[in-house]
Amino acid sequence: MDQSVGLRHDGSRMPAVVARRPSPIAWLIAPALLLFVLFFVLPFAVMVAMSFFSSNPISNPNAVLTTRHYQRFIEDNAGIFHDALWETLRIGLVTTAVSLLIGYPLAHWMARMQSRLGHALALMAVITPLLTGIVVRTFAWMTILQDKGVINTTLISWGLIDKPLPLMYNEFGTVVALVHIYVPFMVLTLIGVIGRIDQRLEQAARSLGAGRLRAFAEVTLPLSLPGILAGSLLVFALSISAYVTPSLMGGTNVLTLPMLIAQQVGTSFNPGFAGALGVILLTVSLVIVVAYNRILARVAGEQGLA
Amino acid sequence: MTTRHPFSRRGLLRTSAGLAAAASFGAPSILHAETKTLKITTWGGKWGDIMKATVLPAFEKEHGCTVSADQAFPFVPKLQVSPKNDPLYDVLHTNSNEQWLAVVDGLVMDKITAKEVPNVADVYPYAVSDKIVGVSIFTSAIGLGYRTDKDITPPKSWKDLADPKLAGARGGYLIPVNSLGQCHLMMLGKIYGKGLQDLDAAYKALEQLKPIKLVDFTGQMEKMLLSAEVVEGVIHDSGVYRYEGANRQPVDFCSPSEGVMALEQVLNVAPGSKVKELAFAYIDYMLRPDVQKLLAEGVWYSPANKKVKLEAKYDAKLLTTPEKVATLIQPDWKWYNARKDDIDARVTKILKG
Amino acid sequence: MSTPLNKQPFDLGKTAYLGLNLLLLAFLLAPIAIVLVFALNPTPYISFPPVGVTLRWFVKFFETGDFMRSLWLSLWIAACVLVLSVVIGGACALALARGHLPGRAFLTAFFMSPLMLPAILTGLALFQSYLLSGIGRPVWGLIMAHTLIAVPYVLRTTLAVLHNFDRRIEEAASVLGASPVRVFFEVTLPLIQPGVFAGGVFAFIVSFDQFPVSLFLVVPKGETLPVVLFNYMKFDLDGAIAAASMVSILLALAVVLVLERLIGLKAYVKL
Repeated sequence: MDQSVGLRHDGSRMPAVVARRPSPIAWLIAPALLLFVLFFVLPFAVMVAMSFFSSNPISNPNAVLTTRHYQRFIEDNAGIFHDALWETLRIGLVTTAVSLLIGYPLAHWMARMQSRLGHALALMAVITPLLTGIVVRTFAWMTILQDKGVINTTLISWGLIDKPLPLMYNEFGTVVALVHIYVPFMVLTLIGVIGRIDQRLEQAARSLGAGRLRAFAEVTLPLSLPGILAGSLLVFALSISAYVTPSLMGGTNVLTLPMLIAQQVGTSFNPGFAGALGVILLTVSLVIVVAYNRILARVAGEQGLA
Repeated sequence: MTTRHPFSRRGLLRTSAGLAAAASFGAPSILHAETKTLKITTWGGKWGDIMKATVLPAFEKEHGCTVSADQAFPFVPKLQVSPKNDPLYDVLHTNSNEQWLAVVDGLVMDKITAKEVPNVADVYPYAVSDKIVGVSIFTSAIGLGYRTDKDITPPKSWKDLADPKLAGARGGYLIPVNSLGQCHLMMLGKIYGKGLQDLDAAYKALEQLKPIKLVDFTGQMEKMLLSAEVVEGVIHDSGVYRYEGANRQPVDFCSPSEGVMALEQVLNVAPGSKVKELAFAYIDYMLRPDVQKLLAEGVWYSPANKKVKLEAKYDAKLLTTPEKVATLIQPDWKWYNARKDDIDARVTKILKG
Repeated sequence: MSTPLNKQPFDLGKTAYLGLNLLLLAFLLAPIAIVLVFALNPTPYISFPPVGVTLRWFVKFFETGDFMRSLWLSLWIAACVLVLSVVIGGACALALARGHLPGRAFLTAFFMSPLMLPAILTGLALFQSYLLSGIGRPVWGLIMAHTLIAVPYVLRTTLAVLHNFDRRIEEAASVLGASPVRVFFEVTLPLIQPGVFAGGVFAFIVSFDQFPVSLFLVVPKGETLPVVLFNYMKFDLDGAIAAASMVSILLALAVVLVLERLIGLKAYVKL
């Protein structure tokens, strides 16, 4: 764990700063802590406790303590749970990377835009996908990507293809729909950060003879790392916990952990196993998030960006 | 339109006079000063519209109570968490498989008889058979839906879904999450193997159906058929018939020769309910011929009450005679649910990749 | 600024850059165009190409009591969540960035965790706790649940801005004799505003669009719009759903515009 107190310094870039005691500002964390303890830690603790019972101890007095839900995942006799975990993480990583690739140019463009009207319009265009409603939006994507969808119908009628392209019922369709909904999160997070980077720094680099791309790569990009970090963490967290989109877009070819959890809760009525799967997913993703934080912090050569 | 709904004053008077038992359930609650609340679950969509517009208000009026109808799935997990002596729902409305899962935890009663609910005396045998916990108030038939404009031979048998020409254009339901999918799997065991419980034959047959488009929600298959994304698929009759008439669509329903599977709408009472009498009265009310007719014609469900007389248009298509009802096959959900986890894992593995 | 000689490739790059971004915007808006087509298409299912234009689904939406009631409830809840999460999340971000708290990385990851847990589990866990503790399912319980999910967004976006923040500005203000409170309101707050604003927009939208958590916490006749829409379309997927979607897009954009008037998005444009 990053045990930096106050400013930590790597190498010799900054003068050593003595570790400081928590300042009065630290008290501002109190409302958030209270909220999380009451509405997250306690309910989650009940759920974790449930994951060690054979069935719901509230409705079934015969429930006994067991680790069988975890064993069921670890042993994975049917050979689907480990694949589902890996698939969840893979979809999360790909979605995050693609969202960053799409979101960064948009955010950069918007942050540097001079026209206020243009900015407002672009901002509305970016926010609109978030307002469509999750299921309606997914159905719209199905209409675009399915075998008789907009793209395949058009391409077939133009004679470009004679069999529909496999755009849906697979990981591709899932990622497209996830990226669509998570790009706005990436853009809005990045705009704030890129907008705060002093444009004169880049201009200075260019006046020193750096090309446009090089000035960007050496000045703007490193300075926007905190935004990249924040945005990718948001998108990653969101895409590994999504279940409506993968279950509608993925068909039978995609099975993620959140889909399994939803099945266990909603149709197998096994909250114990669902809770166990949730604990596993949360643990794995926290490890990834902390590792990512540290790696990026090291790359940036700065104090913990987290 | 509202002036012509079947809940006429006369109808209410007639039925409340005719059903002494129902009246005796209702009367005490009217006498009490405070109004009782009956907590139920119900479906959304068109069914929910009819319930909220006519069926429930009439019941409230008749019994001097209020009905709180929850449409937000999933119902059983919520009931599971709520205390047994103060359950979240008094009446649970689900498909049959979920009732069987709920009864294991003691969340619902195992049998409902004509003693508690007089109208049970008038239902077809399937509605209270040993394959049902609670009482089925309606049923749909699970068979095959198909496009009439895509140049395919109208199916006659369940086996027709395996026609190689339908590769990628056939449809069904996700087996772990939808009971239509589970019914289809058991049917595969019956037609390709030794019976509904021949899972090995069913798995083998499922493998042969790939590539197949499987959907999650019950209402989704009709959309797949209507948009021709699926040309032939597993569906319940209601999902096809309800598009006939005014906006006639090029889809039709086939009851395969091997028989249709039953998709029952089951009502059941939570044992710890504090308004048990009212809960029974509600089930009785839902089985009443006038209520049954209204809902059956609204959403094309076959009524469980033998005495219901539907308009000719509905009568022709729905299961309204003992002979037609005899084509229904009811799966053994107790048997299925005991194996659900293994089946889910197995079919997931088969269908993936 | 630049000489005519290197202006030519410069402009080409700029045009390509503009084209790329417009293409990306088109990707974001394509499904919305489809939703609009559904909303206006007379058939009771999604079809392409459309067969005509009708307003019947909008009429149905406005005539259905459930839709309208849940729409207002959702907007009201989202507004409460916006205020609560901006205050709680903003304060938390400041504490994490400036409070010299031990275990900062751990705390930050901890505050992110509601996002990583599939929301259906969060919903079930909260539902369970509410019932066990006997508080039932009041609206404030739903608001707190949404706030829990919204705070991480505000926290992340605000932290990101705080990180690039030149502390010397604050220090200069203190050196010049400003009280810590004044430094906060006159220096810190305006500077972190873009992050807080982005977080606020997220909070509003996340609450407005929240479905799996609400599923467990809503009560009959007190359902939020996504829950009503989902229940409706599980059985009848017709244009009313698309009309609902268009209406909520317009309403929520109006809210964002009001926010823009109140707070000012120009903070984004020039900083």
